Amino acid sequence: MHTLKLLSAFFKVNVQMALAYRADTVVNILLNLMWLGWELLSLSIIFNNTETLGGWGIGELIALLGVFRLVNTMMIALIWPNTEKFNQSIRDGSMDYTILQPVNSMFLVTFSRITVWRIWDLILATVLIVVGVNMSGGTTTALHILTFILLAITGTLIIYSLWIVLIALTFWFTKFDNNVTILQALMDAGRYPATVYPVWLRVIVTFIIPIAVATTIPLQALRGELASGQILMFVAISVASFWVASKIWKAGLRQYSGASS
Amino acid sequence: MFLIIKRLWQVNWAEQWQYRANLIMYLLYWLVSPIIYLAVWTSIAKVKGDVNGFTVNDFTTYYMVLLICDQITSNIIIHTFAYKIQDGSLSGELIRPIHPMLTNALVNNVAFKMLTIMGLVPVWFILFFLFKPDFSSVTLAGVLLSIPAMVLAFFTGFLLSAAITSLAFWTTRVYSIHEFYFALILLFSGQFVPLTLMPQVIQNITQYLPFQLLIYYPVQLILGKLSAEQITQGYVMSFVWFGISLLFFNWVWRNGVKRYSAVGA
Repeated sequence: MHTLKLLSAFFKVNVQMALAYRADTVVNILLNLMWLGWELLSLSIIFNNTETLGGWGIGELIALLGVFRLVNTMMIALIWPNTEKFNQSIRDGSMDYTILQPVNSMFLVTFSRITVWRIWDLILATVLIVVGVNMSGGTTTALHILTFILLAITGTLIIYSLWIVLIALTFWFTKFDNNVTILQALMDAGRYPATVYPVWLRVIVTFIIPIAVATTIPLQALRGELASGQILMFVAISVASFWVASKIWKAGLRQYSGASS
Repeated sequence: MFLIIKRLWQVNWAEQWQYRANLIMYLLYWLVSPIIYLAVWTSIAKVKGDVNGFTVNDFTTYYMVLLICDQITSNIIIHTFAYKIQDGSLSGELIRPIHPMLTNALVNNVAFKMLTIMGLVPVWFILFFLFKPDFSSVTLAGVLLSIPAMVLAFFTGFLLSAAITSLAFWTTRVYSIHEFYFALILLFSGQFVPLTLMPQVIQNITQYLPFQLLIYYPVQLILGKLSAEQITQGYVMSFVWFGISLLFFNWVWRNGVKRYSAVGA
């Protein structure tokens, strides 16, 4: 309850910040629609030249685009703005105020900045997923859809954990502005099924920067390609990575020594 | 003038060298998309034998050469200049007797380019061994012909980006306009896929825009895919668009500077 109250307070503050730049917000939404148009056009160009991409049909790629946009929204609405604020707070010592507050510091660092207008992207992504699943035909069962949702959540949690580890490293290195660039750089690999990539690229986006775990894997669950053992494994990995990330975060906090005093 | 350029080069080279870690990240960021497109299209060509006449090797060579051409013809002017108009730090440069955009910013871009190309070379050879493209269609003449074409394309692209950056004199923030411009390049330059695989409508519009000169034309030149007539036509277009973008930039800049309000000064 306490957490929800805090979240809604953060949300209100960020809505006010966004309202100060109304024109910017409108332009951003228009640009977002433009990119959606481009994404759909590029899919149609691909499927004008082929019936399947790595065995996947256009419906499945539209659903994949939806999942990709969900993860991407997390990146843009939460991870970018909060990383920027976090890096700044380590350098100038304003991290002091965050730690002093009687709330979990990881929670504060994750949610204090929210790019509010991006919320509508979540709706768009959901529409894409629903349309895509419908287009891909009748073989999907309710169970497949449930595992799909489950694995989309666990995949996102894995990427979130990686982010926490990356920014926690700043506690040790202080000036480490590039901490999330690598995550951002490989993001685009989530647009297409990782199964079409050459082996080395597939290894990178699955094990090192696990974008595919949050995009390709849930889609494979939707197609019913995953055994129950594999599904359990991904759930276990996500819980474990979240646990490790919070441990590293705590170790980082102990390392933090302030900047000005 | 030569001495000024030399000094500017020393300063800008040192400045860019200082940020080499950033540079590697930029390179990584910029490498990902072409490699993904390469993977997607070669996987389709592998299944079908060819896509509209494009074999696996055609796609591989296309994107491998694209990596080089894009690096040479692109620029980062929006990231290194727009903020100077926004926060007023352009004032100091305006009182110098040299053009801020056509000397300092230009040299800075070339220095940046040199460093990223140095970074690209080893990466390119790793990719070469991973994808093993067959470059037998490449001729020395094609490579030599592509060099002036890419230099012209770089200047055209630079002037267009500089003009768009200069719109900040009116709007202060130009990143949204630039994002739109970036989408146009993606659509009409051949970055996503060889232009002949694009829908006919887009191919028709492309003829009247400068963007294919940035990527598609030099790539095809190097790969030896163009007839003598197409090469001449490309060069004529290159010069025409260079002239147009020069006039366009000059016009925007001259009117823009008059409106400059030196924020923060």
